[in-house]
Amino acid sequence: MSADVLGWAWRTPLGDSVDTAVGRLLAGERAATDALRFETRTYACRLGAPILSLPQCSKHARFLRRMGLFGLEAAHEALQQARAHGCEAAGERLGIFCGYGGLRAHWDDMMEGLSAQQPEQGGTWERGLKRIHPYWMLKHLSNNAHALLASDLSARGDGATYGGATAGAQALSAAIRALEAGSIDVALVFAYDSLLEPETLVDLAARGAATSGDLANLAAPYDVQARGFVPGEAAAALVLRRPGAGGALASISAADGADGHTSEPGPETLAAVASRLGRADTVVDGSGRALPALDAAERSVLAPLIGEGARLTAVQAAFGQMGAATALVQAIALAGCLRRGVLPPIAGLREPAEGPLTLVREPTPTKAHSALALSTGAPGLVGAVHICSPGGWADSVGGEWIRVPPAGGA
Amino acid sequence: MSRAVITGCGVVSALGVGARAFWDALGEGRAAVGPIRHFDASRFPTRVAGEVPVLRTDGAWLREYLGGRLPESILEDWEASGALRDRKIGFGWVAALEAWRQAGCGEDASDTWLSMALGLEQAFLEDFGPLLRKEGARTAINWAAEPGASLPRVRFRSRIDLSADGLVRMLGLSGPVVPHVSACAAGTLAVAHAASLIERGAATRVLCGASDSMVNPLGLGGMSRLGAPSPRAEPDACRPFDRRRDGLAIGEGAAMFVVESEERALARGARPLARILGWGSTQDAYKTTAPLPDGSMARKAMQQALRRAGLSARDIGYVNAHGTGTPLNDPAEARAIREVLGEVPVSSIKGAVGHLMAASGAIEIAACLLPFQRDCLPGTAHHRERDPECDIDVIGERPREARVEAVLSNSFGFGGQNATLILGRGT
Repeated sequence: MSADVLGWAWRTPLGDSVDTAVGRLLAGERAATDALRFETRTYACRLGAPILSLPQCSKHARFLRRMGLFGLEAAHEALQQARAHGCEAAGERLGIFCGYGGLRAHWDDMMEGLSAQQPEQGGTWERGLKRIHPYWMLKHLSNNAHALLASDLSARGDGATYGGATAGAQALSAAIRALEAGSIDVALVFAYDSLLEPETLVDLAARGAATSGDLANLAAPYDVQARGFVPGEAAAALVLRRPGAGGALASISAADGADGHTSEPGPETLAAVASRLGRADTVVDGSGRALPALDAAERSVLAPLIGEGARLTAVQAAFGQMGAATALVQAIALAGCLRRGVLPPIAGLREPAEGPLTLVREPTPTKAHSALALSTGAPGLVGAVHICSPGGWADSVGGEWIRVPPAGGA
Repeated sequence: MSRAVITGCGVVSALGVGARAFWDALGEGRAAVGPIRHFDASRFPTRVAGEVPVLRTDGAWLREYLGGRLPESILEDWEASGALRDRKIGFGWVAALEAWRQAGCGEDASDTWLSMALGLEQAFLEDFGPLLRKEGARTAINWAAEPGASLPRVRFRSRIDLSADGLVRMLGLSGPVVPHVSACAAGTLAVAHAASLIERGAATRVLCGASDSMVNPLGLGGMSRLGAPSPRAEPDACRPFDRRRDGLAIGEGAAMFVVESEERALARGARPLARILGWGSTQDAYKTTAPLPDGSMARKAMQQALRRAGLSARDIGYVNAHGTGTPLNDPAEARAIREVLGEVPVSSIKGAVGHLMAASGAIEIAACLLPFQRDCLPGTAHHRERDPECDIDVIGERPREARVEAVLSNSFGFGGQNATLILGRGT
């Protein structure tokens, strides 16, 4: 079960345009910084990979926070690209599927209502809840980006919003199923998430998932010195259509799984989900958790599935971990790189850990036409996407490897 | 293609704990919206709700219903962390275990998916009170005041993750977990998702449904400021399809279901409570807070569901409406129902249990099992004066006896998300 990709767009820590960000990815750049939107000196995790741009002015700013606005921008841009190539579905034949990882309370919006509270003494209405903005509830509505986008586009077809760390992969799966079932002709899938909220950083650090190091000693996933990932954020969108009509940027399929682990999923779950998309791939974008034991286990279970010699990269070394948006960003990034005939290096990889699969240490020419990408999140969640060429990407760029600079540091 | 059937149902609602209590009360025409008791809501504009009759959803309460299914160490940890104060977590667990037991599911759940919905994320005032700090004239949350382990991490985890985590541990599930967060349509979409997995052969058994509670200071405060609840703090705050309707009543609770293939259910001797025949989903693409006045996309969702079910309008013997009791929802929905189905008995249970938000679709699917269980169509609590704007056959406060073969349930979410599910009598 797969779909053709007709348009894509994103807002990422490496840039807002796909071409620019893919170029920086291939150059081995990484977006990690210690200059975040809030002071992190006292946090256990002090690094992040933020989107540096600001959302465009939008009438929807009343109802959406920053990441939701980025999601809408990416969705509009992806659909515009698809429409420029003749995709005309609208109304009931256009469905929207959203992956939203940020089911968080956003307390900073609530300070007006909270700052005078004395929880043990009651009187919560008088002490501030009566001053909550009337739109507070709407602003934190889990499907408000979906609703506003549907309204913007008059998109009235099948669709839903999914939550959690792999919600992007789930939204992709649902969209592909809806296309297959024929309830819509075109699916606009978008996802957005930020792990760069104060309480999220606290949580990620408390369970040892995020790095507690600094920029100078930051180690990449699959590095022997790896000590956790860099939290990131992103918004991304894909426009999908049933396969076969031609003119596609790529073909995509998706899967997800869970195993009940409290934090990261076990390696067998990764393998099980990967095997559901099983193709003869020679390129894998790993989940990039940057913890040696998890990294090693992932390589061990993937090797029998795809072969010891397959290439392993990790775009999240460059972008940071992007939660619900990860699957969509991985799909766009890998397709963008394969279209150029070059594999992206694992940014910042200095001391590769031993193990099966060949780590991509520098921009590497390839004629691969497909790639598998894996993502994970708590509790025990796995997402996967598989992208492949509609007809030979290396050839589509003239069979010439695009020259890119050697991999750099941070 | 496998037909999906419901073999287990669990309910926690203002009408009590357990599906039997729920069906008994609906069958008797009882309603349970009343003054909020588990915290002091006396100064809030909204002081009534469809509150589950339990003051504390603590470890003791959960032990009563879960028995030993959840390891004691986990229960103690979560209770100590404060997570169990979020009522929807415990409601979801209790409803899920009831559904699991009713379906006769055994210990081996290794192939079971979880498709569930949970409401808007909430935390509690006391969670962050100790973290508040003054920064000159303003107050901020000092998230990093106690970096690392001294902040109970469970406090900051998504409630839907917590709920899923508990269910996975309690029942040993190992299939994918799919959280639906499409507002008030989420519960219906979660069940429809389960049915689609079964039909496609992607799963053999799915635990699905929804749980929600906004009956807490933040939920009540936020909804009050939004202006959605009835301004009258009376037990009849919600009067679906009634000429005098003036807003919704907030409710809380959960409904969970075991959905599996009909062949598998029959082969293991399970008795299907209902067959899931069809579903549809559309978007209004209109306004975040108001439905499309002509009900046209709600109509499309119903038509989609009928098509998928292979049924015609006359096959539907009962409609469980979204029926919020708000001035805008009810006429739009009534118009859509009339256009698609004509003269058909319609009721809304929101006058009886309140609006369960993300769980409203799920509990209304549970209500749709009553006609198959007892040949009884639920009534519409507090519906007394017919509204010409709602020109449909609304079942009044008393339930109606009738034998029907197929029923339709509507759920419409904030943001214009429409979902419809059609159930048929179990074999």
